[in-house]
Amino acid sequence: MTKFLLISEDSEKERIVKETFSSDEVITSIDEMMIFDTLKVEEPEIVILDGDITSLELKPLCRKIKQFPVVILLIVGDVRHNKDVTHNVNLFIKTPLDKKLLAATIEASMQTRQSLMKMTKANQELARSLYQLNVLYNTSSQLAGTLDKDKLLKIMVEGIEKSLNFELACTLMFRSEREPVLIINSLYKISDRLLEALKLRAILSYKSLLSDPPFDIKIGNLKIEKNIKHNVKEYDFSVLRYDNLFAPITSNDEFFGFTEIYREKQFTTEDATCFQTLVQQVTIPLQSASFTQELKTTNRKLQKLERLKSEFISIVSHELRTPLTAIKNAMDIILSGKAGDMTENIEKFVSMGKRNAIRLSGIINDLLDISKIEAGKMDFKFELTHIEPVIEYVKNNLTVVAKEKDLTLKFSPSTDSPEIYADSNRLEQVLTNLVSNAIKFSPSAGIIEITSKVVNARELQYDHCFEEDIKKLQGNYLQVCVEDQGIGIERKDLNHVFDKFAQIENSLSRQVGGSGLGLPIARQLMESHNGAIWCDSELNKGSRFYFVIPIANDKSNFNMIKKQIIQKARSNGGTAALINIKSTNSIIESLMKEENLLNKTYLSNSLIEKEGEMTTLSMVILDGDKPACEFLKKKIDTITGQKENVYGKCDIMYSYEIEGDVHEKDSYSR
Amino acid sequence: MKKILIVDDEQDIVESLKFVLEVSGFVCYTAFNGEDGLRLAKEIMPDLIILDVMMPKINGYKISRLLKYDNKYKDIPIIMVTARSQLEDKAIGEETGVNEYITKPFELDVIVKKVEEYLKED
Repeated sequence: MTKFLLISEDSEKERIVKETFSSDEVITSIDEMMIFDTLKVEEPEIVILDGDITSLELKPLCRKIKQFPVVILLIVGDVRHNKDVTHNVNLFIKTPLDKKLLAATIEASMQTRQSLMKMTKANQELARSLYQLNVLYNTSSQLAGTLDKDKLLKIMVEGIEKSLNFELACTLMFRSEREPVLIINSLYKISDRLLEALKLRAILSYKSLLSDPPFDIKIGNLKIEKNIKHNVKEYDFSVLRYDNLFAPITSNDEFFGFTEIYREKQFTTEDATCFQTLVQQVTIPLQSASFTQELKTTNRKLQKLERLKSEFISIVSHELRTPLTAIKNAMDIILSGKAGDMTENIEKFVSMGKRNAIRLSGIINDLLDISKIEAGKMDFKFELTHIEPVIEYVKNNLTVVAKEKDLTLKFSPSTDSPEIYADSNRLEQVLTNLVSNAIKFSPSAGIIEITSKVVNARELQYDHCFEEDIKKLQGNYLQVCVEDQGIGIERKDLNHVFDKFAQIENSLSRQVGGSGLGLPIARQLMESHNGAIWCDSELNKGSRFYFVIPIANDKSNFNMIKKQIIQKARSNGGTAALINIKSTNSIIESLMKEENLLNKTYLSNSLIEKEGEMTTLSMVILDGDKPACEFLKKKIDTITGQKENVYGKCDIMYSYEIEGDVHEKDSYSR
Repeated sequence: MKKILIVDDEQDIVESLKFVLEVSGFVCYTAFNGEDGLRLAKEIMPDLIILDVMMPKINGYKISRLLKYDNKYKDIPIIMVTARSQLEDKAIGEETGVNEYITKPFELDVIVKKVEEYLKED
């Protein structure tokens, strides 16, 4: 059935039209208001306009009608019209009206109209798809910019709103593991009972989506967040009968929530696809966000644990040492004879007690050391020094103990004695440990020999199990070796002697005792010195323990520079920049690049001329000779003095100050 | 006879210190908390004080500061004894004017020797 709107005062014409299209609906009107109401409400396909009409002005009428998707047929009668009128109609037919001609004309025009309508619709759809695509694109680029859960969902909902014009959207998400939130975005207010219904629906959806929900959502613990656009109207249950789209927000095995939208107008398949795509877009950033969150939480927990551990260690150390001191004091007094005479047996057993108190105190010290090293809180006093005094000191200290087992301590110093950059106390600690072990694990009578010499990293010989530690070494080192004729270590255990608490089974160590931490501590201390420690051994013949420390001012050794720069940059929290003044040194640069610390390399003073550039950096290394560096430093100081905060907090370091620098220092030392 | 004041909340430690110092011929006074220690120091004007750091009421640093900034007492040598051994603690000790810093566990002989050293100088 076709709908006609006939605009004519002529009852004869009306009769002919009605007769021609008897099976269709013909509405007749000459009232302008009514014409347009009909066009809007009845949506006729064809308007037949009588050209002889007098009560209306044809030209503007035609123009207006043309805005509706109708075919306009003009009946050209007695009145002659100018071109404007004929221009604005689709077809015309002359009076007297011939029924057959009229019917044929209309039929032809209807076909044309249908194809036209199809094209228009296709065009509209295309435009719509393009728009949706655009929204999708914008949304996904926005999504990539944040890791905030709330923001991500907001962007997603906005994207959906832009592309789909929903009236009501409900999104369920979780603020934290146990905090479900239902976010409602609505065009109009929502009634209380609708809100309750939406809550129930969300909970039901949640339960049906997850076969085994990790967490039970109840009306009581479901938080609501409402974003209402207009307050003029209120939605009620009727909204639930609207067309709706639903999509869970999940990725692999993780469930983030879901989103559901309602619209009075039906959603098309394209809409559904667009909706699904938008929801999918949010899952990856959501996953990253939850990973980030997880990492942050774990990190916080770890930091707290670390702090607790430090506190614990400090308390324990105090609490254990104090009574230990009292025990030792008491036994010292007895052994000194000041408290009165004692029998041989008393002396023997009190000595036993004292020996063990000393051992216990050693174990406590070891525990403290290892925990300090692990927390990075070990204090070092690095300075240029020599190894000989350290070896002499340890040798003298332990000679008495060695003599008890009839062992001889020998030290043969090397002919050249290079300067090393080290903490003597720590070296003493390492060496004491090695020599004590040698004494412990040697049978009575024998020699323990300490030697020192300069070696190149490439010449070192070691069991492959130490490769990891030793292959990092480059250049020249001072090597100290402690050799004994003791019980030795099985090959398979060589590396394990440096493991924490790893005392080797079936060895003397069980009988000899100890904290089992001495060698792990030694290894850590050597690492802090940019050196290494290892051993080789033959069962029942003896062991050799070696350690190496880099030689200060050794041009082929860059580890020192590296360590200093990295430590400084890290402690400042990140990136560093290098300014080459009169660059002679590409080593610093390559080292920093290797550690991903170098942001930019600047030539001369291009850095300080760019305002704000330094705020992004935590450290600047001025690389060049002293006069040039100092000149630049003055310049930076002047500028930072004038404009505080412009350059942020940024440490300045000079390459010539770096220990072990490869520059020729002589050129400016005067 | 030289007077030595020992201030430490660990009674056993005080007891052993007192014993060896008395054997070595000193007169010892003891206090088991900071408050008593400070009061006693002003009362008896000892020739030397052996002071613990971590104590209830007033800690060793505070006592040391109070005495060292007072012209009347500033010349009394103070030997600080503590389980703390971190460098920063040592720095605080030096800043508050203690003369000697010995970490626990210590050898009684070491303390006796130190005391004798200080009191010989007089």
